[in-house]
Amino acid sequence: MADRITPRRILRLLAVSAKMDLAWLLRDTKYALIGMLGELVNNAATVSGTFLIASRFGGIGGMSADEVLFMMAYSTLNTGLFILFGSGNNIHISRIIGRGQLDHSFIQPLPLSVQLSTGGFSPFTGGSNLIAGAALTVFSVSRLQIPVTPGWVAALIVYQIVTLAIIAARSYLVSAIAFYAPAAAEEISSTVIEGSWFLSTFPLSGMPAYMQFPLLTLLPEGLMAWFPALSLLGKPPLNLTAYYPIAFALLLSLIARAVFKKGLKYYAQKGSNRYVPFGFRR
Amino acid sequence: MPKKAQTAMSRSDSAVSVRGVTKTFSQWQRDNSKKNILKNLLKPEKRAITALDGVSFEIAKGEFVAYAGPNGAGKSTTMKLLSGMLLPTAGEISVLGMSPQKQRRAIMKRLGVLFGNRTELWWDHPVIQSFEWKKVVWDIPDDLYRENLAMVTDLLDIGGLLKSFARELSLGQRMRADLAMLLLHSPTLILLDEPTLGLDVMAKRRMIGFLKRLNEQNGTTIVVTSHDMDDLEEMARRILLISRGKIAFDGGFSDLRRELHCVKKAVIHFNDASRKELEYQDTNRLLRQLAQLDNVADVSFTQTSLEEGLANLFAAWNQENTERLPPAPAP
Repeated sequence: MADRITPRRILRLLAVSAKMDLAWLLRDTKYALIGMLGELVNNAATVSGTFLIASRFGGIGGMSADEVLFMMAYSTLNTGLFILFGSGNNIHISRIIGRGQLDHSFIQPLPLSVQLSTGGFSPFTGGSNLIAGAALTVFSVSRLQIPVTPGWVAALIVYQIVTLAIIAARSYLVSAIAFYAPAAAEEISSTVIEGSWFLSTFPLSGMPAYMQFPLLTLLPEGLMAWFPALSLLGKPPLNLTAYYPIAFALLLSLIARAVFKKGLKYYAQKGSNRYVPFGFRR
Repeated sequence: MPKKAQTAMSRSDSAVSVRGVTKTFSQWQRDNSKKNILKNLLKPEKRAITALDGVSFEIAKGEFVAYAGPNGAGKSTTMKLLSGMLLPTAGEISVLGMSPQKQRRAIMKRLGVLFGNRTELWWDHPVIQSFEWKKVVWDIPDDLYRENLAMVTDLLDIGGLLKSFARELSLGQRMRADLAMLLLHSPTLILLDEPTLGLDVMAKRRMIGFLKRLNEQNGTTIVVTSHDMDDLEEMARRILLISRGKIAFDGGFSDLRRELHCVKKAVIHFNDASRKELEYQDTNRLLRQLAQLDNVADVSFTQTSLEEGLANLFAAWNQENTERLPPAPAP
């Protein structure tokens, strides 16, 4: 009989991923630190660019410079979460599918969902953006003088999880193409996630509604930082409920789950005629 | 060639049971001609490939079975079906009394799979780190892990490799480390797809010796594929020969030699530098024949290798487009 997946087992799996991440950092410390610094510089450049414009012009589209800074902090925090849990191509899942590497998962005595949710945990090499995001959040919240209650912190955590769920669901939805076209769609998750990343840190306030709505539905970049940040500031945009991102994440996750399962069934029936060891278990 | 009679095997004795399994794939067909660009785009041509065609066989617990056949015969497809990586188009598969499709996780706790051209080791970590990762993922109890680690370190002589990065190992070292990792959870059934691929003579000898010991001493059931018939003959006691998706032979190696008409020859070298070859079955009769000859300078003996016999067979199959050997008289 297969053993039960208990919270303790999940913690042990996360712990072994963390241990390997630390070992990797200590072994190649110089390169790991350069990589972390690079990520920080990249994120700082995106944040500061928008923030400097907001400062110069006294805000963007009705958002004050400090509100823009809070939005940027939210985005940095989320980037940190993404890197923290998604360092093993488990969110860039089209790479694993396209390279025929799911076979390695099938021979493990764990459900695929458990493997994918614990396998990319990198608290040591992936924590820099999270720390920077947390610091920026504290700084911007103090400037905005938001009353930080336990309820507000809980809402921040829920929104962060929801944003991460939308990123992962969108990636899994599109990555299902790799089941049918492994070579052509190997990098499709990075195209989807990173291709429109810049839009996700752009304050959409002040733009016409016909541009805002598509960015909250079809191409949900507005849900990456703009909508949740404004909701946390107590003014969800477009007269939508503050629960909208949760409902959207739930719907998208269900669709992604169904499409991905169909692709997985196709994979199990047809197999993959492609195997590339590259990027497998760094 | 007759297939071995399918003997009734109780569920508890069976390690692998494959009944009427068919696996078909479809392959896209493309050409580069300009006139077919539109056709390729709108209605691409597909070709159905039958990798396995109604295959049935049983493997009992404790057996060491060679699974052989030419390229594209369906060996790797069978391995993937047995390890739950693929679903059969038709038929039933049971591994250790369970269905690989429905009870994958439970099977994986007792099954070890190794594809020679792939590694399960973490590339940028020392070998021991991969072992510790496996201990957590397979939830191996501490005592069992320590015991098995000591056993594989000793028998596979990997003590000096444990602290080395997987990416820095030679192919032979990597295969030994992979095999060691495979055994950490004490699998009762092992599926090895081309485990000796690319190994030098020394590494091959070491791996074969280890697998034989594992089978004989621990009673571990082993199914191994390889293109090297000499390796297979040395390791396994039974061979399943597959061709074009069908089992063409199931039996012992000596039976296979007989079926392939692997001939023994005496080569007689005469004093005048001429030579003569005599095919023989009965050694006493040959000796009598030799005793009647004059001017003999030397005599040497040769035997058609299994590899040679199979190469001829595979070539004949390709040429005649047949799927099985012609029926042979019952032994």
